[in-house]
Amino acid sequence: MREMTVEPMVLSPSVTGRLLRHPIRSLAWLFFGLALLFAVVAGIQGDVFFFRLATESLIFGGLALSVDLLLGRTGLLPLGQALFFGFGAYVSALVLKQGLPSFWLAMAVVLVSTTLVGLVAGMIAIRAKGVYFALISFGLAQVVSKVVFNTRELGASDGIIGVPVPQISFGFFTVDAASPGGFFLLVLCFSAALYAVLAYLMETPFGRQLAAVRANEHRVPFLGFDPWRYKLAAFVLAANVAGLSGAFYPMLRGFVSPELMFFQVSGNAVINVIVGGTGTLIGAFYGSAVLTVLRSVVGSFTAHHQIVIGVVFMVSVIFFPKGLIGHGVAALTRWQSRKEGA
Amino acid sequence: MGEMLEWLQFVLAPQVINGASIGVAVVLMALGLTIIFGLLDVINMAHGEFYAIGAYAAVALLGVGLPFWWALGLTPLLMAVVGYATERTLIQRVFHSKERHTLTLLLTFGLAIIMEDALKIVFGANPLRLEAPISGASEVFGLFFPNYRLFVMALGSGVIAAVWLVVFRTRLGAMVRAAAYDRHMAASLGVPVAVVYAGTFAFGVALAGLAGVLLAPIYSVFPTMGRDFVLIAFSVVIIGGLGSIKGAVIAGLLLTQVQSISSLYISPVWSDPLLFAIMVLVLMWRPQGLFGRLGHA
Amino acid sequence: MKTFIRTAIVAASAAPLLALAQAGPIRIGVVTPLSGTYAGIGQQVKWGLDLAVTQINAAGGIAGRKLELLYEDEEANPAVATQKAEKLFQVNKVDFLTGTVNSGSTLAVGQVAERNAKLIATTVSFSDAITAEKCSPNVFRVNARAGMQSAALAEWLAKEKPQANVFYLGPDYEMGRSTVAAFKSAAEAKGSKTVGEVYAPLDNKDYSPFFGQVRSAKPAVIYTSVAGNDTVRLFNQMAEFGLARNVQVVGASGTVTSQNLAAIGKAADGFVTGVGYAANIDSAENKKFVAEFVAANKAKPDLYGADSYGVLFFYKAAVEKARSTETDKVREAMRGLQWSTPQGVKTLRAGDHQAMQDMYAVRVKGGEFEIVGKVAAAQAIGPDTCTKF
Repeated sequence: MREMTVEPMVLSPSVTGRLLRHPIRSLAWLFFGLALLFAVVAGIQGDVFFFRLATESLIFGGLALSVDLLLGRTGLLPLGQALFFGFGAYVSALVLKQGLPSFWLAMAVVLVSTTLVGLVAGMIAIRAKGVYFALISFGLAQVVSKVVFNTRELGASDGIIGVPVPQISFGFFTVDAASPGGFFLLVLCFSAALYAVLAYLMETPFGRQLAAVRANEHRVPFLGFDPWRYKLAAFVLAANVAGLSGAFYPMLRGFVSPELMFFQVSGNAVINVIVGGTGTLIGAFYGSAVLTVLRSVVGSFTAHHQIVIGVVFMVSVIFFPKGLIGHGVAALTRWQSRKEGA
Repeated sequence: MGEMLEWLQFVLAPQVINGASIGVAVVLMALGLTIIFGLLDVINMAHGEFYAIGAYAAVALLGVGLPFWWALGLTPLLMAVVGYATERTLIQRVFHSKERHTLTLLLTFGLAIIMEDALKIVFGANPLRLEAPISGASEVFGLFFPNYRLFVMALGSGVIAAVWLVVFRTRLGAMVRAAAYDRHMAASLGVPVAVVYAGTFAFGVALAGLAGVLLAPIYSVFPTMGRDFVLIAFSVVIIGGLGSIKGAVIAGLLLTQVQSISSLYISPVWSDPLLFAIMVLVLMWRPQGLFGRLGHA
Repeated sequence: MKTFIRTAIVAASAAPLLALAQAGPIRIGVVTPLSGTYAGIGQQVKWGLDLAVTQINAAGGIAGRKLELLYEDEEANPAVATQKAEKLFQVNKVDFLTGTVNSGSTLAVGQVAERNAKLIATTVSFSDAITAEKCSPNVFRVNARAGMQSAALAEWLAKEKPQANVFYLGPDYEMGRSTVAAFKSAAEAKGSKTVGEVYAPLDNKDYSPFFGQVRSAKPAVIYTSVAGNDTVRLFNQMAEFGLARNVQVVGASGTVTSQNLAAIGKAADGFVTGVGYAANIDSAENKKFVAEFVAANKAKPDLYGADSYGVLFFYKAAVEKARSTETDKVREAMRGLQWSTPQGVKTLRAGDHQAMQDMYAVRVKGGEFEIVGKVAAAQAIGPDTCTKF
C-alpha cells in the first residue's frame, strides 16, 4: 500500500528520543542550520554565483511550499501554481520599476493583489474536486500565461528588464538586494518564517480541518464544517505563499519574463515536492535544493537533463513515495528503535 | 437573400467543414483519454506523447521503405504493445494505492517528460515531414477541400463508430463495461480483469498512435508535438464527462465548431481561453460533465 | 646599436602581448539552447563557433593565447540563461560570452553582463530593440536585425511586384507582430497596398480557418513571420488548399531556415526573404568557409552558423586592436571595428553596437537558397536610435 504522506510519530523520552519526537521539525532545523553553514563558507570565499543559485533555490522552494500546502495538507493537486508565482514576480517588478524601488511597498502590493487574485481563482477552481481541480488550475495558468505573453504593456515575450535593485531597510540596518550574501540571508529568514508560520498553522484547529478534508471530504459536513470554506482559505494562503516567493525573483535577477508562469515551472514545483516529501512542508525546500543542484550539474554535462530529472521523479513516485524527508524520518525512527531495543 | 446564401456558402460552410476535420482529430485523441479514465480511473498525462510516438513510428516505418498504408495499419498495433507494457510495468505499481488518481497523474506526467526528451535524442530536434498519401483537392459546392483531409474525416468517423460498436454492442465491450462498473464482481463472474485493464489501456494508447499517424501529414512531426492536443483533449473529456464515449464525441465535435466559427468574429488568441471558460462553466453547472461515465451512464 | 634599439622597441611593444600570452587561454562562454524547440539553431551556433575556434587556435590563437569555449544550455528560457551566464562569469571566469538565441534571453543576459562588467555579443537575436530602445553598453550584435532584413526584402518586392496587394499573416507574439509591422512600413513606403492582417496564436496547429479570409482578399503577395514548426504547418497547409498558387509568398528571415526546410519540402519553393547570409554567396572567402563547414559537420551552414563563426573573428580583431581582454578597452576597440567574414567586411556601428553588412534577398528553390537581390549596408541599416551611450 503506497502512502505518500508522513504522520509524525511520538517516541521515547531519551535525548535522541526527544529530538526524534518531532523528526520533521528536527530535519527542518537541520535544513536551516546547513543553509547558515553554507552562507558562512560562501561568504568567506566571497562567492557570488552559488549564493544567487541558493537564493533562487529558496525562492522556488517557496513555490514548492505552496504546492505542498495544497497537495500534502489539503489533498488538492495544483498543476498551475506558477500562475501566482509569476503574478507576484510581475507585480513586484512593476512596483519596483514604475513605482518606487521600495521592498516593503512591493511586498505589500503583492500581498494584497495576490489575495484578490487567489480569491477569484479559488472560487473558480475549488468547486471542482480531485482531478478536475488539477486540470482547471493547469488550464488557468496556461490561459493567463498566454495572455501575459501577448501583452505589449508587460513587455510581451521579452518580459521586463531593468528592474532596479532595492535597498531593504529594517530601521537600524539595510540589506542591499544586490549583495549576494546579504540577500541570501534575507530570503533564508523569509523562508524560515514562512515555514514556521505554516508549520504552526497546521497544528491549529484550522490545520486539523485541512487534514480532515484531505482524509475524507465527504465526512466533514457531518462534523459541522463546510469543507469549501477551508479549501478556499488554503488556496488563497497557498497563492500568497507562491506570490510572495515570486516577488523576490526580480529583486534577485533584475528581470521577469512570461516563462515564469509556464507549466514547466508548475511541473518542477510538483516534482520538488514529491522528491522532497509530500506533506512535510520542509520537504519542499529540501526537494528544491536537491533538484536545483541536480539540474545545474547535469545541465553542464548533457543537453538531455530532462530525461534525468524525469527518471529521478518517476523513481521517486514508484519506489520512494514518501520522498526524502519521509524516508529520512523512517530511517531515523528505525535507528532510534534499534538503539533503544538492542 | 442572395447575400445570405453567399455568406453561408463561402464564409460559414468552409469554417464548419474545417471545424469538422479538426473535430474528428480531437475526438480521436479524447476518445483514448476518456476510455482510459473511464475504465482504469487513470489520468494519462502522457497521452500526448503516445500521439507523438505514433507519428514518429510512422516516420520511421516510412523511412525503411514501407508505404503509408502499411504504416497506418502497423502503428496502432505497435502502440498497443507499448501501451500494454506501460500498464503492466508502471501503472500497476501504483494502482492499488489509495492515492491512485494523484499517483497515476504524476507517474504519467514523469513519463511524458522522459518520452519527449527521448524522441528528441533519437530523432533530433528539427521537424520532420510525412508525405500525405492522397494529394489534390476536390471541389465541394464551390469550396476547395484537400482530399487527404476528407479521407481523415471519413476514416476517423469510421474508427469512432467502430469503437462505439465494440464497446456497446459486443461481448468484449460488455466485459470492459462490467469491469469499469465493479471490478470485483466482474472478476467473480470470470472476466479476466487484469488483462482487460491492460488491454483497455493499450487500446486507448493505440487510438492516440493512430491519431498521430493520421494527422502527421497535416500537422508535421516534431518532438514537442505531444503538447498540441493536451489542453483541448482534456477540456473535451472533462466537458463531455470523464469516461463517457458519447460525451467525448459530442463535446469534441461541438467545441471544435465553436472554436472554428468564433475565429470569424474574435481574435484567434482568445480561442483557447474561450474553450477554457466553457469548461469552467460546464463544471460549475454539472461537475460530472455533460454525460455520465463509462459503465455508469 | 641601431639593431639594439630596434629590438628593444619591438620587445617593448610586444611586452603587453607577451603578458597576454602568459595569462593562459581566453575563455569564452556560450549560453545557447541545446535542448527544446530552438535546439536546431543552437546546433548551428555550436558548429560555427567550434569551427572558428579550431581555425583560430591552429593559427596561434589570439595574441598567442588559445581560445576555449564553455557551453551551457539555456533551454531558450531567460531565467535559465541568466543563471548559466552568471555561472560562466563567476565560476568559470569567462572573458566574453555569446550564443543567446531569443531576444528575451539576450536582454536578460545583457543585464548579467553589465553587473559583471563583461561584454556579450549575440549572433542570432534579430529583435530591433536589442540595439535600439533596449540597447546596452555591454551588448553587441554581429547579425542583421529585423529592420535590415525588411529593407532587403522590401527593395526586392518593389522591383518584382510593384504596388502589389499584400496580405499579412503572423504569429501572435511580440516578435511576430513587430516583424510584420517593420516590413509593412518598409513595403508601404515603397508603394505596396495592405489588404489584410491576421495573427494566429503561436504554436497554432491548423491555419485553414484563416484561409477563407486570405482568399477573399485576393492578394498578390502573402507576407508571414511564422517560424520553426509553425512554418512547416502553414506552408504545407497552404499547399494542401492550393492557396499559394499564383501568389508570391515572402516572409521573415527566421521563417524558412535549414532547421525546417527539409520538413517543408516542395511547399517552400518560390519563398523569398531578406537575410544577411546565404550559403551560395559567390566569394572566395565564403566558398572556403562553406567547404570547411560541410567537411566538419556534414551539413551546410545557415545564417546562424555563419554569424556565430564570424563573432569569434570579431572578438579576435577587437582584442588584438586593444592589446588586452579588459572590458573597457575591448569595448572601445569594438566600436567602429571592421572585420572580414564569409559575407564580406562588416562594420560595427559605434552608436548602437549594431553590425552593418550588405543584405541579400534570397529565394528557396529545390531545397537551396538562391540570391535574387542585394542591398548595400548603408542603405539597409536604418537610423541609430540607441540613446543610452
